[in-house]
Amino acid sequence: MSERTGDSEFERARSAADERRLVEAAVSGSVAAFESLYRSHVGRVYGLCLRMTGHRETAEDCAQEAFVQAWRNLPRFEARASFGTWLHRIAVNAVLAQARRRSEHLGSEGSVEDEVAETLADASLGEMHSGHDLEAAIAALPTGARHVLVLAGVYGYSHEETAQMLGVAVGTCKAQLHRARQLLSRQLEATERLA
Amino acid sequence: MTRIDPETRLDALLGAIPTAVEPDRDLWPGIEAQVAPRRGRFPRWAGQIAAAVALVAISSLVTAVVVRHATQPVAGMTAMDAPVRFASASFGPGHALDAEYVAARRQLASQLEQRIASLPPAARDKLEWNLAEMHRAAQEINEALARQPGDPLLEELLMNTYQDELGVLASVNQLTNTGAAATLARKEQIRL
Repeated sequence: MSERTGDSEFERARSAADERRLVEAAVSGSVAAFESLYRSHVGRVYGLCLRMTGHRETAEDCAQEAFVQAWRNLPRFEARASFGTWLHRIAVNAVLAQARRRSEHLGSEGSVEDEVAETLADASLGEMHSGHDLEAAIAALPTGARHVLVLAGVYGYSHEETAQMLGVAVGTCKAQLHRARQLLSRQLEATERLA
Repeated sequence: MTRIDPETRLDALLGAIPTAVEPDRDLWPGIEAQVAPRRGRFPRWAGQIAAAVALVAISSLVTAVVVRHATQPVAGMTAMDAPVRFASASFGPGHALDAEYVAARRQLASQLEQRIASLPPAARDKLEWNLAEMHRAAQEINEALARQPGDPLLEELLMNTYQDELGVLASVNQLTNTGAAATLARKEQIRL
């Protein structure tokens, strides 16, 4: 058992060392190394963008933009930091920038969207027995609450990290997470009553 | 029958969500199209050319200032108030200053420091103060960018800071060149 644990730790260490080497090669200009990094991280980056935007095509655009920005900012990457976390920060910026552009394009304040989203989250979206149902409920959350729930609730970032990524106060982050959890809990209770 | 607490159930459901989702299409071709040619368009020597252009600008500035100092007292630095904006202020892909550029710039700054010592104290103090303020601003923005990589607003601010820095140098250059030309004209008049 301990040998197996040791093996898995070794695998993790080797994987981390491989990633460091890939990052170093990419910083030196290796597109092939960067493609390897893309293959390793695209799932989590796209997953993050998908949950934050709630829209597949927009998430694809944001994930693509995040990797392009990552390539351009590689010289600034600090080797001691986690490459995955660094990528997530860039992806969050890509999502927020996209949301700003969309808001400017539509000329909306966002509050109307949030109102509609809150109504949807309150309404019955079907039984939340599967992950798919939960995904739908998360997608229906108001934008701010959804962003915080995805980063803190799904991807496990601390309130401080989440607040920094989103450019909001830690207190706002906590309040938004509470709001998101309340809306989802209400949804769960409604589902249980129906069951 | 045991009723599961909704909060606990929610935690369990959130914990079970897969964090990785594969996109329907491969995004790599779109990424590669933007990164590979970009490296081609901005090869290694691009940074060196940008640095060389800056070196010429700074060298001519220092020469002009030193020449002017030798012929007449340096006037006030009011021309700094209207810095020239360079069209060539984009130093690398995505407005990112690459490591080569940063190294070359450090070298230029060191050369400038050596020559700036020959300026009159008041002019030197003003020039150094202005440049130090811009370096400090650039450093702060770079630190913020390390925390928020890819932030478009910060990138724009950083580029503006570097543009302003070059603008100050160019303005002083312009001012001192005008001064040197006027001195030469006066000498020509005396000779006639």
